[in-house]
Amino acid sequence: MMKKLFVLAVLLLVVGTLVFANGTKEATSQKAPDKIVIWTNLTADAQTVVLKKQFTEVAQEMGIDFEMVTVSFGDMYTKLATAVESGEVPDIMHTNFAGSAYLYSQDMLTSVDDVIDGLGRDDFISSYLHVLNAGGKTWGLPDWALHTSVWYRKDLFAKYGISIPKNWAEFKAAAEKLCIDENGDGNIDIYGFPVPLNAVQVAPQTYYEFLYSAGVTTVDPKTGAYTFGSQKAKAVEVMDYIMDLYHTVSPKSSLEWAWNEYRNALVEGTVAMTLDMGAVILMAQNNNPEMLENIGCFDLPGQYGNKPASFGSGYAFVASNDGDAAKIALKKEFLTKLYTPERAAERALSRPMFAFPSIYSGLAIYRQDPKVSLFQDQIDSITNAFENNNWYWYGMENGLSQLSSQIEATTFFGESLQSVALGMESSKDAVDYIDQQLQEQIALIK
Amino acid sequence: MYSLKQKRNYYTQRQILGIVFIIPTVVFLLVFVAYPVLYNIFLSFTDARLLKQNFSFVAFDNYKKLFTNPRFFKYVKNTLVWTFSSVVGQLTLGFAFALLINKKSAGTGLRSFLLIPYVVPAVAIALVTKWVMNGDYGIVSWWLNRMNIIEYRQSPLALPGSAMATLIIVNVWRSYPFPMLIYWATLKSIDIELYEAAHVDGANAFQTFVHITLPHVKDATIVLAILRIVWTATYFDLIWFITGGGPAGSTTHLPIMIYQASFGTFQLGYASSISMVLGLSLFVCVAFYVKKSVANER
Repeated sequence: MMKKLFVLAVLLLVVGTLVFANGTKEATSQKAPDKIVIWTNLTADAQTVVLKKQFTEVAQEMGIDFEMVTVSFGDMYTKLATAVESGEVPDIMHTNFAGSAYLYSQDMLTSVDDVIDGLGRDDFISSYLHVLNAGGKTWGLPDWALHTSVWYRKDLFAKYGISIPKNWAEFKAAAEKLCIDENGDGNIDIYGFPVPLNAVQVAPQTYYEFLYSAGVTTVDPKTGAYTFGSQKAKAVEVMDYIMDLYHTVSPKSSLEWAWNEYRNALVEGTVAMTLDMGAVILMAQNNNPEMLENIGCFDLPGQYGNKPASFGSGYAFVASNDGDAAKIALKKEFLTKLYTPERAAERALSRPMFAFPSIYSGLAIYRQDPKVSLFQDQIDSITNAFENNNWYWYGMENGLSQLSSQIEATTFFGESLQSVALGMESSKDAVDYIDQQLQEQIALIK
Repeated sequence: MYSLKQKRNYYTQRQILGIVFIIPTVVFLLVFVAYPVLYNIFLSFTDARLLKQNFSFVAFDNYKKLFTNPRFFKYVKNTLVWTFSSVVGQLTLGFAFALLINKKSAGTGLRSFLLIPYVVPAVAIALVTKWVMNGDYGIVSWWLNRMNIIEYRQSPLALPGSAMATLIIVNVWRSYPFPMLIYWATLKSIDIELYEAAHVDGANAFQTFVHITLPHVKDATIVLAILRIVWTATYFDLIWFITGGGPAGSTTHLPIMIYQASFGTFQLGYASSISMVLGLSLFVCVAFYVKKSVANER
């Protein structure tokens, strides 16, 4: 009898606990504030501190909770792929354009044209919006962007009487003149221009800056039709020019140089010019402050003077289409509040290189900051370049495209360029192989 | 006296208990070994991609694509060069150091010192390697240039042959402690009386080494060779961090190809077919060694 009573008591306790727990959960869910999960690929302290501060401020303004998850760039595609597979994508993702393209291709995003219109479309730099466009809609809010420029030694240009080159012929002539044997030992101490060709990301970035300067694109910027295949002769010409630079004015080891190597070379004074997105400034500030006043930048000239487009990179906020209308409205309100001029400028300034805010009102504040106020000429040069030229990220000339992440995460560009540089392959064969690979990737996307 | 029925119950209970004890292992093997392998085989016959939820059966298309890829055989060759050179180097160096630390004069300090490479993270090794091999300020590049082996401001990592050689040297340096420990344990297990008897019989050091030491480490060598071949052929991070597979694909091996197919172009089916080829090759290699070692035992 006692045993039965005991079993009955336990059962009652279990049922009671379940009912009570359920009731508590419901009561909690009614009272709990809404929560937004945000992933960011930025992992540097300076950036995550600013992001967390801003997210906290906005969440407090809205009376909601948020969770910020940092996902390193190296893990991004793996994590995104896993998240997409499990259907647990974050509410808001702060990622680069390729990451945005990936989520768009998965049909995971909600368009943010209403947010942009609410904030004032004219305040956004149009080329930033273009890159996040697909099917007539904008799928992300550009946060900040980086612009490739030629960073150079002003003192050496002055010393050797070199003016800013206006076409490729002048550019090569300047680079040749800047190959300097300072101590007369027969070895070049300062090379004119390094051609960094590290297979992982760097080589395609180098090639694309020159391709865009010569008018070659992967796809048509207006129609999205594949164009690289019909521009192969020009692509070979561009590759030949790059190889000419590599063999005449670049250190041989630049074949495997990535970002740090070429930035360091300019800052330490072993090259006179380099392509970069502005991180050389921070590197000079940290490692060789005396070099700062000697460093300037100009836009890589077009092949014959007129430059059709430039290569650039950047970050965006995208919102997932997961959840009901109220949840999506909540995400959009959150994003809207992040786009005050002050916050936009603060985020761009937290980037350890020349990252430009995506809104003009933010750019005005950005320019006044002591961190960049010394570089007004460089900012003028870069803003002039991206206001007067088109500005693309590889494979996204017509807006969001999965192709960009496939170019970024593979090495067929780098392998081909390195093979040509080492004399193992002709430029024509390399371009044919790149064309074949690009077409294969495009077919896979479809 | 136990009745027959009681005895049967006893054995049945023991059998059930035995089954209960092996269930966790069986479940573990099924979930973490059998299922992934079978699923990988299945995926290799599909057009599965990370980009889409649905996929269809494509028979041998992935394998056809793989074997008609002009760069595949180059990567296979790279995998073979990388694996066999590394394994031979690791085993040779590991054995040499095992002989050294097996001497009575070798102290704990030397033994600990020789283990250091095994505990250094691959990322740290990669960064230091890139640093010392840098064409502008790398000490190794500077030495090589002074010896007229490479051009001024050239890096061994920017030349196809020397890039692979560098990776193999770094990998041998990083991995020799494991064979060293196994060989050392084996050497310690050899009966000292064998050496004493050989000495009494007038055998010199070389004869003792050839006729006593080498035969005793043969089995350990087979096991080590199998393990190191499997581990080295599938080793990814060191190559990826140091050369990224370059220059010009000269250090790209099959694991890098698998990675790029999986997370570069998101072709899971295609990546599975590459991993099947790699897995089967390793399986054949392992089976060959196991068969040979069993035959030797008989």
